[in-house]
Amino acid sequence: MEIMQVMGRLVCTQRVAGLGHMHLRILQNNKGKKLVAVDPVGAREGNWVFTSSGSAARFACPDPSTQTDLTIGGIIDFWSPDG
Amino acid sequence: MLICKVVKPLVSTNRIPGFEHRHLQVVLDGSSKKVAVDAVGCKPDDWVICVGSSAAREAAGSKSYPSDLTIVGIIDHWDPDSSNPSVGGEK
Repeated sequence: MEIMQVMGRLVCTQRVAGLGHMHLRILQNNKGKKLVAVDPVGAREGNWVFTSSGSAARFACPDPSTQTDLTIGGIIDFWSPDG
Repeated sequence: MLICKVVKPLVSTNRIPGFEHRHLQVVLDGSSKKVAVDAVGCKPDDWVICVGSSAAREAAGSKSYPSDLTIVGIIDHWDPDSSNPSVGGEK
């Protein structure tokens, strides 16, 4: 799992049926790259979160058939990027 | 499998139910920080081995556990500067 920061929300009305109605979030990883993850926990902009990737991302969704490869697993209570 | 160094525990109260109450650890893989599920009970500064992909899910408890990185062992002796851990021996 990786630690990322939520940059904002993302709206995609036109999407494959396999994504369902999952909320999408824009995340930034430690290298500054922006990624999109589905959000079952309700993270807000500025929150630090940890993410599951690959096939584990599907099991992190309420419905494991969701077609995702990046899912927010939880919001980190206390985190500063310097450690 | 990856050799990682445990940095500190990660506290996340608001998490998906699938992660249950398992301990999470921040680990250092080279210079990048990652989060791993702790299946063995390690402490900060321990050197550990981590598995990824589907092995990470089963090692953490079940085939449907949502982990992509799980700590599966604590290394007894490991010197990061040596290529052969059995010769290195610093703890």
